[in-house]
Amino acid sequence: MPRDQDTVNPDVERIQRWMQAVIVNPGDVEQAIRSPEATSEIPAESLGEVVTPSHSMTSAERVDVYHGMYLLRMVEALEYDYPTLKHYLGQESFEELVREYVQVHPSRSYTLNRLGDHLPEYLETRHDWADSGFLADLARFELAITEVFDEAESPVLTAEELQSVPTEAWESARLKPIAAFRLLELKHAVVPHLKAYHGDQPSPRPRRRNTWVAIYRRDFSPLYLELTRAEHDLLRALVEGTSLAESLAAAAVKVRSSQRQEKIFRWFRTWVAEGLFSAVET
Amino acid sequence: MKDNRWGLPDLGLGVGLRTTHFSHILSNRPDIGFFEILTENYLDTGGRPLYVVDQVAEQYPIVMHGVSMSIGSTDPLDREYIKKVKGLAERTGALWVSDHICWTGVLGRNTHDLLPLPYTEQVLRHTVERIRAVQDILQRPLVLENPSTYLEFGSSEMPEWEFVARLAEDADCGLLFDVNNVYVSAFNHGYDPRVYIDAIPADRVCQYHLAGHTNKGTHIIDTHSDHVIDPVWELFGHTLRHVGLRATLLEWDADIPPFEVVHAEVLKAAVWRNVEVAHAA
Repeated sequence: MPRDQDTVNPDVERIQRWMQAVIVNPGDVEQAIRSPEATSEIPAESLGEVVTPSHSMTSAERVDVYHGMYLLRMVEALEYDYPTLKHYLGQESFEELVREYVQVHPSRSYTLNRLGDHLPEYLETRHDWADSGFLADLARFELAITEVFDEAESPVLTAEELQSVPTEAWESARLKPIAAFRLLELKHAVVPHLKAYHGDQPSPRPRRRNTWVAIYRRDFSPLYLELTRAEHDLLRALVEGTSLAESLAAAAVKVRSSQRQEKIFRWFRTWVAEGLFSAVET
Repeated sequence: MKDNRWGLPDLGLGVGLRTTHFSHILSNRPDIGFFEILTENYLDTGGRPLYVVDQVAEQYPIVMHGVSMSIGSTDPLDREYIKKVKGLAERTGALWVSDHICWTGVLGRNTHDLLPLPYTEQVLRHTVERIRAVQDILQRPLVLENPSTYLEFGSSEMPEWEFVARLAEDADCGLLFDVNNVYVSAFNHGYDPRVYIDAIPADRVCQYHLAGHTNKGTHIIDTHSDHVIDPVWELFGHTLRHVGLRATLLEWDADIPPFEVVHAEVLKAAVWRNVEVAHAA
């Protein structure tokens, strides 16, 4: 390949584009240096002139220090955010997932904290994996945990504050959730996997089961609450700003029980005790 | 005793504030000179990390250390990020804001690595211009750290120490002098670390870093995963003689031991500082 002065003595823009292309390439360092993305900037034959060899390492070996560390850093960031997913997949499969994921969704932020934001949607597209739907649900759950961890702190509505709302105001009252609150509707059982991870037990087989869960933060710790469908629907209505009266009327239709009122009252008592609401707006 | 040109204080000995030590620090209030926080860990969170850093900032001097300014990148500066850095510095009362002489990505991507620059006149001019732009936003001197590097570019026109010294002078910025990084890069590239240290403009140095590393035989990686080795302590002594006393921080970021171990490691620097004080007297 002919080499012009630009590729033998490239300027900094070219060097940076080349080095990044090599570092993020999913193959080994030799494949990375010979990849179209890298050679469109600097031909592989110019490597020894662009990166000088050291007293103990070839040019390629020196580049490989950076190349090798890139994937390790991405894996480390994502295993911190998705420990249950990693527990289910195992180290090797998880690394393979990260290698493929960061090719499609590389970090474009100053923080690694949001690197995994697209993982649920990415997993959803992997139709070639038999359990992609389950993996996406598990990732949704763990992503919500990370979001709740970082949300702003909110004041918490107390039972006394709720009880002090005048009776005539209940009709139009609206409950405002805390910022650190997420409501999920999943198609797979994910809680057994969470328990397996925290108990250092093998992950169970994935199982299809409609799952409703509230994820929230109390005293700076992310927590979750498994819900019935009726509980979920009522909470969903409330957090979307439907008035208390309207939400309760809808819930009353769905709860088939002679002790309907007590049941709904019990839900509210739990939600308020867990600090899911920040204010009641009348 | 030699001082830095901005009169930034010698905060004594400090360590990096790490999540694993949060509870210990809040419960035990250790007697320590200062804490250094990793800037990016506190920019977009309203949770426990920010709560803890607010508590720590009420009781200890804080300095900020970032990894994503990408000051040598050919991508445009991320001005929104720099404004957030400024906001965090104001919130915590940080005495200074530091980052690295490196680039972290181009074409909108971030590799989250501290990548080396070719040391050319073109890169020097480019980086100086960007440092000045950052300082205009921060309204304070930016403090930049010499990086650990694992490769050198054939296009470099000057040694790293000349690049660092000229960068600081031309951009009128501060330096965070990492003694371990000099040791690591000197090993990897085969030069004398004392030549590097002696070339650094003393009045621009605002802080020191010390850390452990991993020797792979053919090269050394700056892993921040171990105790500081004796040759690095000796280089620290040499640096103190050339530069003077500055806020000195121990970094320990992998296989992090209990707080007492990290604290004890940085306290070893007191011996070297006392030697320098006695020598100066």
